[in-house]
Amino acid sequence: MAMHTRRATLTPKVLSYSGLAVVLLIVLIPYGYIALTAFKPAEEIFDVRWLPRVWSLDAWRYAIEFEQFHVYIYNSMIAGLGAAVLALCVAVPGAYVFGRKQFRGKDVMFYIIVMALLFPFVLLVVPFTILWVKIGLYDTMPGLWLAYQVFIIPFAIWILRAYFAELPRFLEECAMVYGCTAFKAFWRVMLPLAKPIITSLMFLAFLVGWNDFLFSNMLTTGQGPRTASVIIYVSAVGGERVEWDVLMVMTLMAGIPPVLLYILAQGQFLKTFAVRSY
Amino acid sequence: MAENIGIRVHNLRKTFQRGRVQACRNVNLQLAEGALMVLLGPSGCGKTTTLRCIAGLEQPDNDDAIWVKGRNITRLQPKDRNLAFVFQDTALFPHLSIRRNISFGLDMHKTYGRSERRRRVNEVAELLHVEDLLERKPHEVSGGQAQRVALGRAIVMEPDAFLLDEPLANLDAALRVEMRTEIKRIQKHLGITTIFVTHDQEEALSLGDVIAVMRDGEVQQVGTSHEIYHYPVNFFVATFIGSPPLNCLPCHVQTDNGALNLASQAFRLPLEAAGGTASLRDHGEIMLGIRPESIAIAPERPDTVAARVSLIEPLGSRTIVILEAEGVELRALVQGETSVREGEAVHLRLDLGRAFFFDNAGNRL
Amino acid sequence: MARQEALHPGHPIDISPALPAAAAASRPRPVAAERWLIWLFLLPTVLFLVLLLWLPFLQGVWMSFHKWPFIGEPEWIGLQNYRDLFGAAYFWTTIRVTLLYSLSTALQLALALAAALALNQSFIPLKSVWRGVMLMPYAMPPVVVGAIWMYLLDPDLGMVTHYLLSWGIISKPIYWFSDPLWAKWIIMLVASWTFWPFMFIILLAALQAIPESYYELAEVYGANLWRRFRVVTLPHIRGAMLAAVIIRIAWNLAKIEQPFQLTGGGPGYETSVLSILTYRFAYLSGDFGMAFTVGLLLILVTFVLIAPFLHGFQKQIKQARRR
Ligand SMILES: Nc1ncnc2c1ncn2[C@@H]1O[C@H](COP(=O)(O)OP(=O)(O)OP(=O)(O)O)[C@@H](O)[C@H]1O
Ligand SMILES: [Mg+2]
Repeated sequence: MAMHTRRATLTPKVLSYSGLAVVLLIVLIPYGYIALTAFKPAEEIFDVRWLPRVWSLDAWRYAIEFEQFHVYIYNSMIAGLGAAVLALCVAVPGAYVFGRKQFRGKDVMFYIIVMALLFPFVLLVVPFTILWVKIGLYDTMPGLWLAYQVFIIPFAIWILRAYFAELPRFLEECAMVYGCTAFKAFWRVMLPLAKPIITSLMFLAFLVGWNDFLFSNMLTTGQGPRTASVIIYVSAVGGERVEWDVLMVMTLMAGIPPVLLYILAQGQFLKTFAVRSY
Repeated sequence: MAENIGIRVHNLRKTFQRGRVQACRNVNLQLAEGALMVLLGPSGCGKTTTLRCIAGLEQPDNDDAIWVKGRNITRLQPKDRNLAFVFQDTALFPHLSIRRNISFGLDMHKTYGRSERRRRVNEVAELLHVEDLLERKPHEVSGGQAQRVALGRAIVMEPDAFLLDEPLANLDAALRVEMRTEIKRIQKHLGITTIFVTHDQEEALSLGDVIAVMRDGEVQQVGTSHEIYHYPVNFFVATFIGSPPLNCLPCHVQTDNGALNLASQAFRLPLEAAGGTASLRDHGEIMLGIRPESIAIAPERPDTVAARVSLIEPLGSRTIVILEAEGVELRALVQGETSVREGEAVHLRLDLGRAFFFDNAGNRL
Repeated sequence: MARQEALHPGHPIDISPALPAAAAASRPRPVAAERWLIWLFLLPTVLFLVLLLWLPFLQGVWMSFHKWPFIGEPEWIGLQNYRDLFGAAYFWTTIRVTLLYSLSTALQLALALAAALALNQSFIPLKSVWRGVMLMPYAMPPVVVGAIWMYLLDPDLGMVTHYLLSWGIISKPIYWFSDPLWAKWIIMLVASWTFWPFMFIILLAALQAIPESYYELAEVYGANLWRRFRVVTLPHIRGAMLAAVIIRIAWNLAKIEQPFQLTGGGPGYETSVLSILTYRFAYLSGDFGMAFTVGLLLILVTFVLIAPFLHGFQKQIKQARRR
């Protein structure tokens, strides 16, 4: 019996630890290597070794002083913030209604919205470019915010609707009996209750703006609000010779903030991503 | 007379899904100011819908359905009705403290200043014995306490009426009995018109000044506990009320040499014992309803019925004896314990004077 | 019935006035304020999705029947774009690459499942740290991840090439991104490395929602590790798994930044997945009509690929509802 128990608990341990180790190595080796590269002086890029012989901040200085990369980081931030705020203003009321109210055509409408989740957004680049030029949104920040919504809104509504639907029944009705209008019941009761999930969706929406390359590249020019993603793309693909040390600095600068966000909010993200099969 | 009517529900009609579901066909209720009425009926009979119409959470089909203190409020917004609704699931606001929950209605209306609101909340909390919980969150109190808080939230508004929709349904049995007494005490103390919905007949009988029995979206009978139990207007009310349930036997009335006899599969009994039996003469097939306590085990006589004991269910102070007579199952309720054994052959005396007779349509004769 | 009777000639009493009122009463009246709120709240969502998604999409469908140059007048050509496309050899290359690229979803699922199962064990210490580390590739902009792999796979300076050479696995540097044999595999592998944490987080969330008591019960009945997985774990995460696969297939096919950055669709059309092909037509050839023709086929391919999973997911939903 004792033997049996020992074996039964040992197998999952061995399996789990080895699985974990393999996955962690797959993720960590590349990151470790490029993080160290960012601290190598330019001439050390040419030989492959892990630790820099001389620790140097040259690449960082170059990225900021010469490439002005912090400006693009700032652009990315504004792009993400605007996208998040706009997305919430649109998606939260919509999801609330889908989650808790009855009206005609609700199921069909919801279906159409969620299907948009599976839509290949690259298709929209062409019509957007034409439209944006026509209405003056081309090469502007609001133009980017607006464009990102096609990624964000379907996803946000999908997630939020389920959350609202699962809140206890009768809450708004109760609020209305005790003196709220329908809107006040939403504002004073439902919104505070959904705060955690709304925060987490705000983070995710921010990351859509921060991480996006497709629209940022197509809907802006060199004179406009280029985001960090676009600059990284240009630096990696554009010239004849790539300054790898500088590029790795840029990847760290653009890559670390979202990672911090994820680490900060991972518990909440887990709840957000809990797919309900109903 | 008219001015002290607390709530009047007039020909209330409420349909769902474009008239396909008739939740309330035609509900009429009237209760005096300060009275406590219990709305009793089986699941799905429209109790909740009636209450929600009164509160304004549903819109009745007709425009003159809901009157409170002589005012037609049928089309008023819920927030403007000054009625307090307590839901079956507690529906405390999870993100607010108990204090903020109780004062929610006051906070929304802002008729009183901050310190006055505070004072009122404290007063109500004391009345309900939740004064120590005020700073907690709803998930930190027990089910019974939460239900008290929900009541407190209603009381503090000083509403024109309380509407309670099965407020005790989710509590355990002991707590339910305790809260029942408490609600009645508070209601008498405050003198606020109250409608209490339940489908638990024991709760209804013990609680209400007046009981309204509903079925399929219509009120069947309104009366005191005594009236409902002893003088049901129809077969439905008679069978719905009473535990153990009413014994029902299809019978027919026979006339032998001018004497009326009641005959069934199991027996044939003379009817003179029952008062006002003359009217039965015109009906051939009738339904006999007799309460278990009106059946007694007795020594054999010409007017007793032979039966066999099939099961005994002791309830402590009383005992239910389940009997079988010629294929008909009967239940008798005996005070204390009984000396009969399962399987024993016995004789029953049916107290026809306290029995009910119903015609084919279910109306009481 | 009653109305007919009333209208019947010779019927003395007209009862029809009572009827309209009764008919009106049978329709439930919405609470006015609430109706107002519903439509107001829906308006932005509907407006956004109609204006930003469905209208441009319909315009695109319209464009696919035209020769639609960047500058100049569009010309109606009917199905010519479709005919041209099906007749072109590169189109079939593209389809083949697209299918290979979508296989990335399977790889992502395998990695995600292994990581989620491992991390869900109660005895693992520092869970949230590992979880954070695993989420890194997905959290970062895909272009950033692309740049990292461009560096690591660089034929002259890259770490991967260096180690493969020094361990003798390859004899001379491979130009991963321009090698016709390797390029399509590389973009597939990089996509897997980038996007698997999305599935991981969905699966982990589903795993965490399984009550411990199920496992205990299974253990009481003597179920071994594999049976416990089959009987307890799998049924509980099937819905999440299907949803993750559906979304990932669709998003993998729609996201162009990485192949775009790593290979630009080349060599030739060897890594031009459909989304890249759309892009190439639109921006390199300036042929918007053709771009959209490809785009519509991309939608078609996407739906064909997700259809079985969508079907499974819907079945799962029905089962959950019945329970
Ligand atoms: N929103 C609605 N849409 C459609 N039908 C409804 C709706 N609300 C109630 N009904 C129907 O109306 C009838 C009465 O429902 P109601 O909730 O009033 O019953 P009840 O007497 O409160 O029952 P219970 O004791 O189970 O609470 C039921 O048949 C119910 O299915
Ligand atoms: Mg009810």
